[in-house]
Amino acid sequence: MKRSILVATMLTALIPGLAVAGDTPAPAGAKVYFIWPKDGQTIKGGKFWARFGLREMGVAPAGVEKRFTGHHHLIIDADLPPFDEEIPASKNHVHYGKGYSEARVELPPGKHTLQLLFADHNHIPHNPPVYSEKITVYVPAD
Amino acid sequence: MKTMKISIALAALIASGVAVAGDSPAPTNAYLYIGWPNDGEVIRAESFRVWFGLRKMGVAPAGVEKSMTGHHHLLVDAPLPPMDEEIPASKNYVHFGKGQTETRLSLPPGKHTLQLLMGDYNHVPHNPPVMSRKITITVK
Repeated sequence: MKRSILVATMLTALIPGLAVAGDTPAPAGAKVYFIWPKDGQTIKGGKFWARFGLREMGVAPAGVEKRFTGHHHLIIDADLPPFDEEIPASKNHVHYGKGYSEARVELPPGKHTLQLLFADHNHIPHNPPVYSEKITVYVPAD
Repeated sequence: MKTMKISIALAALIASGVAVAGDSPAPTNAYLYIGWPNDGEVIRAESFRVWFGLRKMGVAPAGVEKSMTGHHHLLVDAPLPPMDEEIPASKNYVHFGKGQTETRLSLPPGKHTLQLLMGDYNHVPHNPPVMSRKITITVK
């Protein structure tokens, strides 16, 4: 009995070591999604307001530690980054640390993917990570 | 004519001195709107989602003091409250102090008005106040 507790303790110690997510909890049912654009949308001119939908959680600016909050990150033409590290900041990983729930985006002509990833006060995804479906949009050549 | 213009300008100047807004600054181009439902929408459901549109300004939970941020308040069948006081909390003045950007609402059948008003960390509207247009919906 004592041994199995020990094994269980060791296992739980090991599992976070696998680091599949950050340390900040997200509630069950939390969801981020695109209110706009929709998957498959054609966007003339490539300039638009991306509207971020969020359920069962709140928005807080980066650096603010409050339970069940975080800030949005827009991943453009890139795959999801590791969930146990700070989300990189680049033109493909845009941070909205001021607490924005919509953002002006400009994309060149072509096919692009967009995905939202929510992250905590330290820019690390929650546990479980809260991210949207990856959508594809098309910007026609002029 | 000229005197009238001057007196209007003077009245406006005096009025601005009389606490028409809180102390937290908001960007003058901040834009708050109800993303859904649309004005005039007829809703045939027991409950529906309302999403809060906000541009050029950020959301922060109540109690968090960060420049150019605030949290949403949904006014249901209610007039705008005073702009220099804490927004009341009631079923007609719903606070979203956890930083929510949408909600689910359930209203009895009939006509209803909805309006959004941002409040700062102390629940007091900004200067200038950031509010949406007031919309009317019908629940069947």
